[in-house]
Amino acid sequence: MEESRVAPSAPATPDLPGPFAVGVYARRLQGWMRERARVRLIGEVTGVGRSKVQAYFELRDSEGAVPCAIWLNDLEKAGLDGSSLRDGAEVVISGGLDYYPGGGQASPNFCFRATHVRLAGEGDLIARLEALRKQMRAEGLFELQKQLHRPLLPKAIGVVTAERGAARRDLLAALERRGWGGSLIWGFAPVQDRHAAPAIGRALQDLAARPEVEAIVVTRGGGSLADLWAFCDETLCRTVAMLRVPVISAVGHERDSTLIDDVVAVACSTPTHAAEAAVPLDCLAAREGLERCALALRRAGEGAIGTRSRHLGALARGPARALQRQRSILNQKIREIRAAAERGLVERAASQRRVGTLVLERARRRAAGADMEKRREALHRAAVALRAHEPERTLERGYALVEGEEGEPLASAAEAGAAERISLRFSDGRVRARPERGGEA
Amino acid sequence: MEESERDQSAAAKPDSYEVAVERLEEIIDRLDSGQAGLRETLDLCKEGKELVTYCAAELDEVGEGLKELRLDDLAAKLDTASEVG
Repeated sequence: MEESRVAPSAPATPDLPGPFAVGVYARRLQGWMRERARVRLIGEVTGVGRSKVQAYFELRDSEGAVPCAIWLNDLEKAGLDGSSLRDGAEVVISGGLDYYPGGGQASPNFCFRATHVRLAGEGDLIARLEALRKQMRAEGLFELQKQLHRPLLPKAIGVVTAERGAARRDLLAALERRGWGGSLIWGFAPVQDRHAAPAIGRALQDLAARPEVEAIVVTRGGGSLADLWAFCDETLCRTVAMLRVPVISAVGHERDSTLIDDVVAVACSTPTHAAEAAVPLDCLAAREGLERCALALRRAGEGAIGTRSRHLGALARGPARALQRQRSILNQKIREIRAAAERGLVERAASQRRVGTLVLERARRRAAGADMEKRREALHRAAVALRAHEPERTLERGYALVEGEEGEPLASAAEAGAAERISLRFSDGRVRARPERGGEA
Repeated sequence: MEESERDQSAAAKPDSYEVAVERLEEIIDRLDSGQAGLRETLDLCKEGKELVTYCAAELDEVGEGLKELRLDDLAAKLDTASEVG
């Protein structure tokens, strides 16, 4: 349209070859196209139509499409019945460019003339998948989801899966085992046909748009790569890569590897594992762990106070204990001193006794020597002197002693004259006498 | 200064369950090390108890039984609400 508006205002006709008759040009164009290289193409069949002699369809993928045609004879030779060439089928076609130049009444038509067609095999899909994988990895699309934060305990998760699939049941059972009872929002979608990828993409976008959704699981059961091909859809995988919510995939069995597994935050082998990845926390175990934490904290708090109070108590008792210890030491010393003193006194007394005995012994020995002789002589002399003064000695010299009746000495004439009787004591005996009265007087 | 910082950190609500659990593990490790003084121990115990309470509340939120919702129904409600509005 743009060009048609521009054309009239274009300057003079360019200096090009021609003009040629268009029919001639069309024929030559047909020849040129048919000389192009013959190749094989792989893609999804859409818009299948048939005429009496040939079948028409478009072969397309997310990047583009080519109009194709195959003679029904060639289709039969390829061993495909009418139902095999259907919308959504992944096929590999062999052929080359063709151009129908039309005619006076017929319209021209360009197509890829397929001379052979077969359903795409695992190898074809894998090769295509690898090419997509390489391209998306190079664009860094595999890393975006993996950089998203995945909450340990989401309150709400979204799940995209088939409404009647075993995956749904497995997922619920796994969440129940973890003791998780949050909100689960189902985004049901077909998981195996040409409408699957767009529907899955829409469900993922709708779930991610809900603010409460913190993680999304996309899952389906096992199947061939062709069955799982929706999860290799480039548009779907690019959509997933750009989501703000982490997506966890569990598509097919462990050995299956789809493109969405490369793009998502976490790829799991089963719906059970996907549930565990979506809710990383085992709520039942977490409750037990919390109880242990609470107990540990209580013990730490009580222990800190108890230990320190005991320590303080011990410190407070310290001085009293030290005093008691010193007192005990003192008492012990006192006992030792007393014992030592007593031992000393006894020893000293014994020693003194030994010294006294020794001294006395020496004195006795001294006394028993020359001194004793002198003393004997003195004693003898004293005895002689004493004997010289005895009355018997005087009587022996002829004197008499006058005594009274009782034997008392009468030392004067008056006493003797007054006595009734007197006794005259001589050295050889007594003579009784009676003084005469008035004689001398 | 340190006192007020400690009080604030103890009083602040954790951003998420994992943040709370991570801090709780730090606290338990510190207490287990036996290197914390009395004041620090009591502060850590107080903070730890608040974290335990927070985590228990978070677990309670997902402990009342799984609620299943359909995206189609939620979208339909949203449409109805917008039409009424």
